[in-house]
Amino acid sequence: MAQDMTMKMIPLFIPRSHVSTAGNKTGSWRFLRPRYDEKTAPCSAACPAGEDIGRIAMLTAQGLFKEAWEAILKENPLPGVCGRVCFHPCEPACNRGEFDEAVAIHTLERFLADTAARYQLQADLERRSPRKQRVAVVGAGPSGLATAYFLTRLGYRCDVFEATPEAGGVLRWGIPSYRLPVAVLRREIEQMRRTGFEIRCNRRLSREFLQEAGATYDAVYLGCGHAKIPFLNIPGEDLEGVTDGLSFLQRVNRGDEPRLTGRVAIIGGGNTAVDVARTSLRLGAKPVLIYRRRRADMPAFPDEIQMALEEGVELLELRTVQRIDRAGEEYTLTLRQVPVVNCAAAGKACVQAVPQECERLAVSKVFRAIGLTAAESWFDPPPNENRVIRLNNSVLAYADGAPIIAYGGDVANPIKSVVHAVASAKEAAIALDITFQEGAEAIGERMKHCRVGGGSALSMEIHMQGPRCRRSDHVVAFDEINADYFELSPRIVQPRLLKEERIDSFAEIELKISANLAMREAERCFNCGLCNQCDNCRLFCPDLAVVKDADSGRHINYDYCKGCGICVVECPRNAMALEEENQTQMNTAEEGVHGRLT
Amino acid sequence: MQLNVPDRDYMHSGHVGCPGCGAAVAMKFVLRALGNKTIMVLPACCWSIIAGPYPQSTLQIPLIHSAFETGGAMASGVRAALDVKGDKETCVVTWAGDGGTFDIGFQALSGAVERNEDFIYFCYDNEAYMNTGIQRSSSTPYGAWTTTTPGRDWKRMRKKNIVEALVAHRIPYAATASIAYPEDLLRKVSKARSIKGSRFLHIFASCPTGWRIPSEISVKIARMAVQTNIFPLYEVENGRKYTINFMPKGYLVKEYFKLQGRFKHLSESDLDQIQAMVEEDWELLLRKAGVPLQG
Ligand SMILES: Cc1cc2nc3c(=O)[nH]c(=O)nc-3n(C[C@H](O)[C@H](O)[C@H](O)COP(=O)(O)OP(=O)(O)OC[C@H]3O[C@@H](n4cnc5c(N)ncnc54)[C@H](O)[C@@H]3O)c2cc1C
Ligand SMILES: Cc1ncc(C[n+]2csc(CCOP(=O)(O)OP(=O)(O)O)c2C)c(N)n1
Ligand code: SF4
Ligand code: SF4
Ligand code: SF4
Ligand SMILES: [Mg+2]
Repeated sequence: MAQDMTMKMIPLFIPRSHVSTAGNKTGSWRFLRPRYDEKTAPCSAACPAGEDIGRIAMLTAQGLFKEAWEAILKENPLPGVCGRVCFHPCEPACNRGEFDEAVAIHTLERFLADTAARYQLQADLERRSPRKQRVAVVGAGPSGLATAYFLTRLGYRCDVFEATPEAGGVLRWGIPSYRLPVAVLRREIEQMRRTGFEIRCNRRLSREFLQEAGATYDAVYLGCGHAKIPFLNIPGEDLEGVTDGLSFLQRVNRGDEPRLTGRVAIIGGGNTAVDVARTSLRLGAKPVLIYRRRRADMPAFPDEIQMALEEGVELLELRTVQRIDRAGEEYTLTLRQVPVVNCAAAGKACVQAVPQECERLAVSKVFRAIGLTAAESWFDPPPNENRVIRLNNSVLAYADGAPIIAYGGDVANPIKSVVHAVASAKEAAIALDITFQEGAEAIGERMKHCRVGGGSALSMEIHMQGPRCRRSDHVVAFDEINADYFELSPRIVQPRLLKEERIDSFAEIELKISANLAMREAERCFNCGLCNQCDNCRLFCPDLAVVKDADSGRHINYDYCKGCGICVVECPRNAMALEEENQTQMNTAEEGVHGRLT
Repeated sequence: MQLNVPDRDYMHSGHVGCPGCGAAVAMKFVLRALGNKTIMVLPACCWSIIAGPYPQSTLQIPLIHSAFETGGAMASGVRAALDVKGDKETCVVTWAGDGGTFDIGFQALSGAVERNEDFIYFCYDNEAYMNTGIQRSSSTPYGAWTTTTPGRDWKRMRKKNIVEALVAHRIPYAATASIAYPEDLLRKVSKARSIKGSRFLHIFASCPTGWRIPSEISVKIARMAVQTNIFPLYEVENGRKYTINFMPKGYLVKEYFKLQGRFKHLSESDLDQIQAMVEEDWELLLRKAGVPLQG
């Protein structure tokens, strides 16, 4: 009975698939073609030294501080200095500024340099094999030192001659230690020197050197800077007690800190004037800055002016000094108001010295601190003539049977700053390298390829054929960033000494930040145009046509990619491009291979 | 920087979805979270084609094609068969389009979840019958052109709120998700997989062909649907506990509409009316979730 109840097996046929769809080469449907295409970030094009900021921030965000520091050193040997005193033209160009606030690039730069110092890191930078040419560098300011650094890395032998007892130029003898501690400068100079060049201090060269140099050197770089304060051409400026502001800063930087009392007048509106004012404040004086145009027109960096005013420096704008008189220990300045007659929206206010009521100002000391010039006329580049090549930040003069003379730094730069001094150095080093290897005619064409984003900043990494060569010079705009992938987050607030702590010491004002805060700030960076391995392109591809490589890069498998373009739009940072298929040849899968982290 | 989601795919290249198919992205994500101890029931829909003609399959899991209206019933049967075999590990899922869910498959679905069958029902929503040529469904949104709501006869009925219909069955888990929010989506799939009983996931999956959009904005448009509150991301546990997963940033719905050919006939006043409808729905949801209304 029970046996009859058992179910009878009936045959069941269900067709069952047994092959994958991989045989369908859906890539043949494609009429648009995505590819990996790293581009240029606007910050790096705006940095006169062309630093690879997007990548520096990416490495910092990953905690790879040494690699990030080395990425700076490829383009700029002075991150500790520039992180402190550069006026950071990169930051106004930052795309993040259109989203919330610009990335605090200089803060990261300084953090990386300080971290390298703290852990006594040694940079591993690539260097070319030695070449036969030798270069003499006159002046161990930032531009001379950086020139020797770049040329040494390019394989040339360099000797640096410096007039004063210590290298650094204005960084050593001009900028006060509350902005740039000497130890920071010394470390970076040592780091540069270690690439393999000599610095001979206490060697003030004379014009004759240029004639003799040919016996030993193939080129001479003149980076003698601007160290002379011109006279104002007013009665009384040669009175004893009316001092040249730069000599005063030099004296203080040598360690001599005279006490000052009462009001002191500083005539000028540049960095020198502001530093003299803030220094005299720290020495006990009540400084008054006298400037002939408006505050907005002052050549000093706005942040510096702001801090000077916070500390208690007084500013008299739109005043010229007519004369200086002395009675005993007191000086009287006769000032004339200068009305603004025409305010051009951009550029400086036009002013006109119409006779107006005169004011008098009684002070205990007067500093002259108007725009600097070269101390000797042969420091300046020659006028344009045959065989003189004038580049953006340097000038090269060629003559038969004589070494090439290159001019850079303050003597050649329209904007006088440390980072421009570095820009001169790099430009001159690249120009000399091209001249030595291929001849001066090749400079224009070859230099074009080193331009960051096609602008005036140059990249040594590109010149040395590093991975940065593969980037396109398209400068990424904010609307090319997929902002949906970023959350609002405020820019780091730079911790500073309190005003009260600042005004009676030369201690550094800006304080260190922690690694955590630096990483958080670095994460704010969009990494414009650069792949940071976020994997979005692979994540969203509907066709599984983005393939991860063993070494963390990716490539597109064009056998299956239908060219939908999702990967390109979902790349948060525009590190990809979508082109019409017929613009490029049908390529092998290899072509999609990615610029990967190196 | 990389999103925190499982990395292994259970899908092959060479499928025949349109370029930029949001439903393909949805499947890819869901399988990443489900893993290969999964059996899928697939009523008629675009995915019946995408999965490949016999003898091909683009999925690395077993898949059973079923009749259009039987997604819920078929999955109940597969579950019962596995139970007979003593297989507790394999997860049974249904993968259906909006037509197969909101309309023709609705009674089978309702029946299955009323019995609290132990399976996950995924509805990938491309807001029309796409496979047969863009006919309107009860999921097609107010204002849309389809081939059955052409020209001036664009659809003037609201989209059915399918999640609320499922919530009314008091099932253990019901949620919305979007291909533009993979972390949220994968988390919800994993969570659903860990729960017993009937679970329902409504996944917004754009369709470049049917929506008349360029394929490259396929994910972007799905993201905008969330950002504008047109498709809020939320989950409901046991028919009662509401959690809203994404708080909007106040984008206007017209930003979403103006990018799509299927809405290009709408006037400013139509769009204003739609804005009001979206706001009304959102407020209703906030009330259910017990979130105070914003000013
Ligand atoms: C007070 C002050 C504050 C400044 N603050 C800032 C700032 O905050 N940020 C910023 O970016 N820029 C600042 N600048 C500008 C910046 O310092 C200069 O642009 C920069 O130092 C120029 O570098 P350089 O190498 O061309 O010249 P210098 O720094 O002037 O260096 C020239 C060097 O050449 C040496 N030298 C000159 N003649 C001879 C010779 N015949 N033989 C041998 N050696 C010689 C000098 O001793 C000196 O060491 C400031 C400048 C001043 C004066
Ligand atoms: C009973 C029945 N009616 C009609 C069809 C034809 N048909 C196949 S797929 C489909 C449309 C499916 O629409 P949807 O469920 O939204 O999925 P989509 O194609 O949009 O992905 C239709 C009408 C069918 N297979 N069975
Ligand atoms: S977001 Fe980063 S990469 Fe982009 S501009 Fe700003 S600092 Fe440069
Ligand atoms: S997402 Fe995939 S299929 Fe679409 S273009 Fe990119 S690689 Fe090709
Ligand atoms: S989506 Fe991410 S991984 Fe892909 S290219 Fe862009 S940054 Fe790189
Ligand atoms: Mg559909």
